[in-house]
Amino acid sequence: MAKPIPKLRYDEISTGDEAPVLSHKLDRNDLVAYAGASGDFNPMHSNEFAAQAAGLPSVFGHGMFSMGFLARAITDWAGVGNLTEYRVRFTKQTWPGEELTTRVVVTGKEDAGDGKQIQLDVTLANQDGESKLAGSATVVAS
Amino acid sequence: MALGREDVVGKPTGAATVHIERGPVSAFARALTDKNPIYHNLEAARAAGFDNIPAPPTFTFAAPFWGTYPEDQPEDPTGGKGSPMRELMGGLMAKGGIVLHGEQEFIYHKPVQAGETLYQEGKITDLYTKEANGVTMTFLITETVYKDDAGEPVVTERFNLIHRL
Repeated sequence: MAKPIPKLRYDEISTGDEAPVLSHKLDRNDLVAYAGASGDFNPMHSNEFAAQAAGLPSVFGHGMFSMGFLARAITDWAGVGNLTEYRVRFTKQTWPGEELTTRVVVTGKEDAGDGKQIQLDVTLANQDGESKLAGSATVVAS
Repeated sequence: MALGREDVVGKPTGAATVHIERGPVSAFARALTDKNPIYHNLEAARAAGFDNIPAPPTFTFAAPFWGTYPEDQPEDPTGGKGSPMRELMGGLMAKGGIVLHGEQEFIYHKPVQAGETLYQEGKITDLYTKEANGVTMTFLITETVYKDDAGEPVVTERFNLIHRL
């Protein structure tokens, strides 16, 4: 039976604490790799000619790539297997060449009957501070 | 005639038997830039408390692409008609506009690990329209639950698709 090990200690966490930031410069190879690994072959992500014919400046990133990358910022900090909820709103598309940076901030904590939980606000933005995803997550602490 | 809320809410989108395997899980993690040994090295996964390689948090969204094999699929709950989403989105796209992934949610009940088989069932949970500034937005919400061999929920996904005209 899997028993993931929480990396966060409930007593040491306070509102306003932040996870280490992750940054990644999105490139077309990422879009190709993610298309292959996820099965999302929408030409808007992999075919420059099709994207431009549709009136876009270029191919754009998969929203779910962004969601997966932002999840990494949470799991690197809290430990894989300790996420209980994760939800995002997709606010803007991502484009090759953008530097995407994560932000994971503690908004509260609760020691309820079913374990010690930390609530987080999570966002991904580009180098100009433009939000790409905004949402929340809950992780388990020890 | 366009499908209305009463026509689709509660209707199934589909069902599948989905096998979680180490290769696809590792490739998915790598595609997300995640080099955490836990996704690539069995010893590391076991040291972290797992029985096998764990799946990254958004993996179930891609899992059916990899792990649905024809020989062990369940009966089609749509009776061969396919997901109502197709007809719905088709009807909306015929008017023009664009379809966007609006929101995505995952609720994790148990860890997802390589070597497991999950049983997926989806249904439409809401359909509504909002108008603002001359723009009509139609929201379609689906809920997909992945269960284990014991019938216990492992992951619940909520998917929010928006058509904007």
